[in-house]
Amino acid sequence: MATRLILRAARRLLAGAGAGAGAGTGVGRGAHATPPRRDKKRWLRAYLEQQRLRAPPQRRSEKPNWDYHAEVQAFSHRLHENFSLDLLKTAFVNSCYIKAEEARRQGLGLDKEAVALNLQDNTKLSEQGESFSRSYLTQCFEGAYPNLPAKGIGALVDFLNSQELVSYVAQNLSIQDLTLCAEFPVPPNVLQRTFFAVIGALLDSSGPEKTGIFVRDFLIPQLIGKDLFEIWEVINPMGLLVEELTKRNISSPEPRITRQSGVNTVLPVYFVGLYCDKKIIAEGPGETLLAAEEEAARVALRKLYGYTENRRPWDYSKPKQGWAVEKAISSN
Amino acid sequence: MTGRGTPSRFLTAVLHNGVGRYVRQLQRLQLVFSPTAPDARGARQFVEEAALDFARRHPGVVLYVSPRPCPAPLLLAEYLNGTVREELVASKNGEEIARLAAKLADQSGLDIIRIRKPFHTANPSVQGQWHPFTNKPSALTVRGPRLPPQ
Repeated sequence: MATRLILRAARRLLAGAGAGAGAGTGVGRGAHATPPRRDKKRWLRAYLEQQRLRAPPQRRSEKPNWDYHAEVQAFSHRLHENFSLDLLKTAFVNSCYIKAEEARRQGLGLDKEAVALNLQDNTKLSEQGESFSRSYLTQCFEGAYPNLPAKGIGALVDFLNSQELVSYVAQNLSIQDLTLCAEFPVPPNVLQRTFFAVIGALLDSSGPEKTGIFVRDFLIPQLIGKDLFEIWEVINPMGLLVEELTKRNISSPEPRITRQSGVNTVLPVYFVGLYCDKKIIAEGPGETLLAAEEEAARVALRKLYGYTENRRPWDYSKPKQGWAVEKAISSN
Repeated sequence: MTGRGTPSRFLTAVLHNGVGRYVRQLQRLQLVFSPTAPDARGARQFVEEAALDFARRHPGVVLYVSPRPCPAPLLLAEYLNGTVREELVASKNGEEIARLAAKLADQSGLDIIRIRKPFHTANPSVQGQWHPFTNKPSALTVRGPRLPPQ
């Protein structure tokens, strides 16, 4: 074993000397070529994999195989919409990209005419898209939940147009690959603006009816599995309930303990029922009496507003909602 | 491995896909193959015969064909949620590759692991969660004396 190792080392030394000589003179390389390694480089795979994992994330457009025009066209086909491609490309251009690109060109020493990019950014489209999406969603919710007060509808619309939710939707439609932005990874506010700009581009190219369906199909499903009071923070539900009941000319609710268990333990449970004119309107559980009363008030509010957990699911069929769209435009 | 040891997930769809409208989740398919290697023969056959059909059938998928020297022919599928799947297509014929591409186009890009149940709901109970007081009389109900059966 030992002799073999020594032999191998000696061969390597000899080979190194031969290669050096060959490079120096440029002749006789064939005679001194390094013999092929006989051991398998087991470390190589692991090393390459480690390097791949350590590499900083890259934009998709910097990786091989990227055809921007084809990607934009495929984006419009994927969503089953007829975008006008120029508008869609404009929707993906952010103002920060134009600024950064012009600064980069200036840094390279181009003259002023060559520096200007002659690109339009998406500010106008995104404003248009945002106002449309807000007004359309407001109309939709007003139609679907007529008992919900304006504040609640506002909370729902704010939730659906919030930066967090819209950027999440945009990310799962892979808008971050297509959008032109100075920073990487694309910050959520830019993603939100780009998504609204896409809505604005659709509004300009296919009209408000299709855009309404687009907004409905991509934003409203996000309400699935969400509770009304997760979205709309009501600090004093009992006060709101009393207010709503006086509006409807019903006497104010009387809370009563209906069931309780384990009162003297660390895990008590109380059920509080709310009675109006000796009729129960809601019942809710809680660990303390106050929490149970608050929960009961929330249950009552959900029933009053028609936003219970077992409500009818949203209707996603082909709409006859011409009126909603028309109103959305007129309020624009 | 037991059921508890293997990774698992619930049945989901990206962005509740299909509730509003269906969006094909494959966004990009790259076919990398060597123009000369014998094990890439099927890949070359796919490019000649089936690639155009595939692109026509899936207008929402960008298909890149890159003939360059590489160790083995690959199908690289990129999904909308950022997943990248590499499929080795060495020594497969054109038909098999076409079938594989169609399968990749139908997948969602979520992890391919055990799914706990073939159904899922955000509202597990329409009637409300069961609790020890379900169907029990409330404390407020006044019970009269138990009458002897007549």
